[in-house]
Amino acid sequence: MSDKKPIIEFKGVTFWYGGANDKPAIKNINLTIHEGEYVALLGLNGAGKTTLQLCINGVIPNSIMGEFEGEVIVYGNDTYDTPVREMAKFVGMVFDNPEFQLSQMSVAEEIALGMESLGFSYDEMTKTITEVLEIVGLRGLEDRSPFGLSGGQQQRLSIASALAMRPKILVMDEPTSNVDPIGKEEIFAVAEQLNREKNMTVIMAEHEVEVMAAYADIVVVMHEGEILLNGTPEEVFSNVDLIHKLGLRMPQVTEYAHRLNQLNLASIKKPYPVTLDSAVERFKDIL
Amino acid sequence: MQGIVIPITMVPGNSTIHRMNPLPKLLWTLGILALSFSTRNIAVLGVAFLIGLLLVFYSGITKAYVRVAMILFPISLTLITLQSIAPAFPRPWTAIVGFGPFTIYQEGIYSGISLLLRIMAMTTWAMVTIMTSHPSDIFTSLKKIGMPYVLNFIFVMTLQLIPILQSEFGIVLNAQKSRAMKGSGFGAILPSMVPVFVGAIERVQQLSISLESRAFGSSGQKTSFRQVRMAFSDYVALFLGFLVPGAATYWVIVDKSLDWSHSMVFSPAFAITLVLGATIGFLIFVFFAIRAALSA
Repeated sequence: MSDKKPIIEFKGVTFWYGGANDKPAIKNINLTIHEGEYVALLGLNGAGKTTLQLCINGVIPNSIMGEFEGEVIVYGNDTYDTPVREMAKFVGMVFDNPEFQLSQMSVAEEIALGMESLGFSYDEMTKTITEVLEIVGLRGLEDRSPFGLSGGQQQRLSIASALAMRPKILVMDEPTSNVDPIGKEEIFAVAEQLNREKNMTVIMAEHEVEVMAAYADIVVVMHEGEILLNGTPEEVFSNVDLIHKLGLRMPQVTEYAHRLNQLNLASIKKPYPVTLDSAVERFKDIL
Repeated sequence: MQGIVIPITMVPGNSTIHRMNPLPKLLWTLGILALSFSTRNIAVLGVAFLIGLLLVFYSGITKAYVRVAMILFPISLTLITLQSIAPAFPRPWTAIVGFGPFTIYQEGIYSGISLLLRIMAMTTWAMVTIMTSHPSDIFTSLKKIGMPYVLNFIFVMTLQLIPILQSEFGIVLNAQKSRAMKGSGFGAILPSMVPVFVGAIERVQQLSISLESRAFGSSGQKTSFRQVRMAFSDYVALFLGFLVPGAATYWVIVDKSLDWSHSMVFSPAFAITLVLGATIGFLIFVFFAIRAALSA
């Protein structure tokens, strides 16, 4: 990934929600994300994933009060002194509860909301609405009430609303946690498609390790506000003991490979396989 | 909860009134409001009410209107009862008939009927406006005449929040039922307030971050997705909306002969029938309302 240009840089970022006496939500974060990368953020609740994500578009420290240290540079803009509205052109945000992000009377108006704030013309808006609804697969629902949609559709609408502002980075905070299994598939498919076809940088906090192992280029494991692991899925999931200690799940095939080693049934070299396909490839030689 | 909630929202349709721009409709409603508060004349209020009713029939919102009126009318009947024995009217009062500690006054009956007609006239016109206009169109046209963007958003959000809170009430009530707490009636609604409103605050916090991320509330030029056009007929209706209710209001203020409070004399039989009828009507309504609330 070194040939790609770095677009998000965290330099020693620490953030306290309360005063500096409390425990920081994130602690001395140093992280570089390159254009077009699919980054998975793993960690238990309270590990600091959401806080880290809110730093990317400057909601922290601009809108959420607290103590902020360090620097976040996104496409050359220091988020500390760039208004969130400017950052909205670079960063689209999608949060965990789809229903809590919606406010308008119809799907079309929901998508138009951000564009209205940025002063898009009417023609641009109608064109963009059609485009983004096509991407998320909600064409034909323009006039429906956002609150009458299913959870998966609502979440895809949130994605569409974020995409309407033509961001280069899509930040998703547990986008599937309030969605049924079919809805989950749909959302992962949209994110995957945006990443592969439009070269959009995707930063997703998720608990679905199997999916993340398959899609993500980079996996970042957070714990108590710190980044413990950062690398490709194979590198990260090979730290089996640490991941177990943190109470996180790992892909079943990785777990399987590790158990085989532990029980001396096979000797599988690290990095372990993380997807079914790579596991089949690796185990072919052993079995 | 669901049973006692009356939706006052747009009734889809394609009548001339539906197709009108919301601004003239709002202006007419305001005009009738001004007129209604400027007179106690029963005939003027009655005519305003009747025209409102005609518009209701014409625009095809009768069913939805009747559902609201079924609630509003019996409640308004108490006005006749209360006013007849304690008129909101300058003394001296003329007694018509007395029974026990209560005396029914001439001014009271008059005041009661005119208040009832005033409420019905205003709400009927307001109902026509609300039920024939898409909420977004109302807000967009208000925005066009200078209503602040954020105020508009507050209105839209409030409209959206009502059904959401309703359904959340339902969820909390079911949770209470499943823990063997009282799950119906007013006694159950009170303890469910806290979880529902805490949930609402959480929702609003999340929404504000989400909106912030979508450049909401940013300074600079804003545009509007929803397009509301003013046709020639709308300008005519707008002009008439200034002229007709304005002139009528001026007339009812200036013309002192419209004060019928003393010239209109009610017989004791009429007065008793009216007051008893209003009281019984209201009590029947209260009975059914309580029964509905308890069984909900």
